[in-house]
Amino acid sequence: MVCTVRFHICTGQLEEQAGRIHSKSQLLQVEREKMQMELSHKRARIELEKAANTNARNYEREADRNQELLTRIKQYQERETEAENKLKEQMEMNKSYKKSMETMSKKLQEKESKLAEANETITILKGKISELQRNIMNQEMQMTSQDSQKEELMEQLDVQHKKWQEANQQIQTLQASQSLLAEYEQKIKDLEQKFSQQEHDAVIVKNMKVELARYPKMERELRQLREENAYFREMKENNGLLKEEVEGLQRKLERYEKVQAQLVTVELENEKLLGKLKSWEKLDQSTGLNIRTPDDLSRQIVALQQRELVLKEQNSTVTNSARTLEKARQQLQEEILQIQSQLLEEKKKREQHEALVRRLQKRVLLLTKERDGMRAILESYDSELTPSEHSPQLNRRMREAEEMVQKLHAHNTELELEVEMKVLKSQECTAEQSTSITKEEINSLRLKIEELEAERSKLEEENRSLEMKLEKLTLQGDYDPSKTKVLHFSMNPASLAKQQRKEEQQQLQEECERLRELVRVLEGGGSIHGNLEGVGSFQSPQEIAELKKQVESAELKNQRLKEVFQTKIQEFRKVCYTLTGYQIDITTENQYRLTSIYAEHQGDCLLFKASSSSGGKMQLLETEFSRTIRELIDLHLLRQDSIPAFLSALTLDLFSRQTIA
Amino acid sequence: MARQAVREQQGITLRGSAEIVAEFFSYGINSILYQRGIYPPETFTRVQKYGLTLLVTTDPELKNYLNNVVEQMKEWLCKCLVQRLVVVISSIESNEVLERWQFDIECDKTAKDETVPREKSQKAIQDEIRSVIRQITATVTFLPLLETACAFDLLIYTDKDMAVPEKWEESGPQFIANSEEVRLRSFTTTIHKPEYYHPSRRFKVLPLLF
Repeated sequence: MVCTVRFHICTGQLEEQAGRIHSKSQLLQVEREKMQMELSHKRARIELEKAANTNARNYEREADRNQELLTRIKQYQERETEAENKLKEQMEMNKSYKKSMETMSKKLQEKESKLAEANETITILKGKISELQRNIMNQEMQMTSQDSQKEELMEQLDVQHKKWQEANQQIQTLQASQSLLAEYEQKIKDLEQKFSQQEHDAVIVKNMKVELARYPKMERELRQLREENAYFREMKENNGLLKEEVEGLQRKLERYEKVQAQLVTVELENEKLLGKLKSWEKLDQSTGLNIRTPDDLSRQIVALQQRELVLKEQNSTVTNSARTLEKARQQLQEEILQIQSQLLEEKKKREQHEALVRRLQKRVLLLTKERDGMRAILESYDSELTPSEHSPQLNRRMREAEEMVQKLHAHNTELELEVEMKVLKSQECTAEQSTSITKEEINSLRLKIEELEAERSKLEEENRSLEMKLEKLTLQGDYDPSKTKVLHFSMNPASLAKQQRKEEQQQLQEECERLRELVRVLEGGGSIHGNLEGVGSFQSPQEIAELKKQVESAELKNQRLKEVFQTKIQEFRKVCYTLTGYQIDITTENQYRLTSIYAEHQGDCLLFKASSSSGGKMQLLETEFSRTIRELIDLHLLRQDSIPAFLSALTLDLFSRQTIA
Repeated sequence: MARQAVREQQGITLRGSAEIVAEFFSYGINSILYQRGIYPPETFTRVQKYGLTLLVTTDPELKNYLNNVVEQMKEWLCKCLVQRLVVVISSIESNEVLERWQFDIECDKTAKDETVPREKSQKAIQDEIRSVIRQITATVTFLPLLETACAFDLLIYTDKDMAVPEKWEESGPQFIANSEEVRLRSFTTTIHKPEYYHPSRRFKVLPLLF
């Protein structure tokens, strides 16, 4: 190691030199590097500048491009907005087109629905057409059948016509014979009349003979009756006179009866008055006052009245004096009472004072006695004055004296009590000397009395309440079943009313059942049987029968009217046909078909339609026959405007054709 | 005139008293029937009695019934066997008793053995009867209306051991449950003393105690 150290030390210097050389080399290297670096830097700078220039040019180009792009963007934006606007317009157009389309579709649908409806109506109409065609077919069939019938009828008509002619001839012969018959019959009648008249005359003649025989008898009877008549008239007059007399006499009788009754009453009054008079006259005797006439009586009465007045005055004075005396007496009595009470009080006070006096005297005596005793004791003590021990003796004597004093006090109080009791007894009037003994008895008796009184009050209350209950029950109608019983009449109105009500109820129930049966039958069948009808209408069968008759008669009338109307209508139509030459039929409403009597074919007819509801204006409709008579239509309807002229021209035309043919 | 004077002096015998009381019952029952409308008012006619215008019925059936009852009452009153007469008014449909007019009779039985008549003037008795009948008319003002159709019955309370005549039968007392009572006037002939009170429903007890 030493070697290395040295080496190191040696080398150190070498190293320093190496280092310096190294560093110099380094420096040179560094400088070279620096130069290179600077060159490179410059190159880099140049390149950078070039790059910067190129960048700037690129930047400019980019800027230009940017601007171009911006412009383009703007243009595109403008185009975009334009396109959006166009889009919106297009959308609006679209919407409008859609709406129109919808409307169109709706219209289409409506039209389709209408179409469908039209189709339906077409089908319906086709159906109707088919039906109509069927109807037409049927009617044509009917027409043919009717035509055949008509032909048959025409043949029959011819036959009948021939028969009719034969019958006419027969009728004529018959009429001739009938006229002859009638003439003969008239002759017979005349002869019969003459015969009957002759019979009548014969009968009359017989009656006349009988009557003539009766004539003299009748004359006799007449005479008798006239005599009786005159007699009765006289009698009637007499009767009238007699009746008047009777009435007059009856009135007199009544008057006399009234007078008699009055007489009776008057007599009674007379008797009464006589009696009174007699009694008045007796008065004279009974009173002995020399009374013979009513004047005397009145005088006496006046005198008596005067006396009465005087006596009344005296009476009044006397009563006044009596009142005053009574008042004085009452006052005196009151005074007496007062004085008596005062007397009593004085007496009491006197007694009390006397008692006090006695007590005091007794006390005085006792006190004097005490005093004497004390004085004696004191004198004994004074006499026996010695210096020995007095105390026990004195004490003994003191005690004895005190005992004496207490005894005396007790005796005193006892005596005072006795005195008070005696005073109380003397004041009371009762002589109960054993009150102390009987106080207990009194208390017990008082308690018993209170108990008994309480019981009595309770019993009284119970009694009252029971009496109230009893009364209430009797008011309600209660009774004692052991002593009383309740009766009532068997046929009493309440039971009668109940029976009537029951019967009414039963009747009503029966009626109800009957009516229910009727209702059931009516609801079920509707036709009323004879028995139920009788049951149901038991209240008014007559009314229902009458109503039924009315209904039947009304129905009969209806039927008759219908028949009459029908016959009349047919007659009228026939007459119209024969007179005018046209048969007028109503085919449908407002359409009239005319067939001429001289029509060449069966189906030749004219159709008229009423344009107004009343049938005033008529229009001709087209038929097969009308096509053949064009000229007539033109002439009369179109030019002359007259339907009757047209119809008459047509009949003439057809008639001419028929006669020629 | 002479007859009346004699009657006043005679006073009241037992027979006379029975007649008076029975007559009073007859008129009283008629008044009740009219006032309560048991029978239609047009079947009643006016008569003068006790100084009043009273209404009595003209219906022959009803008259017959009342006469029968009143005649029987007279007999029983003479024998002092009647204790009470009750007019029961009940509804026909429901058989419910609506009103009871009760006449209690106190009979002095010693009058059967007496021969001397009692002193009470006819006029005083008539006045008392008149006041009773007026009171019957007055009570109707505070009684409720009888709406349904009603019928009446007469019940007589007698001694238990009395013989029941034919045409009569025993019946129940026809009480009213929950009733209210009104006591009214009485009159006396000194032998018979009908007291009169009237229980019915639906009004309060009034202090009309005499």
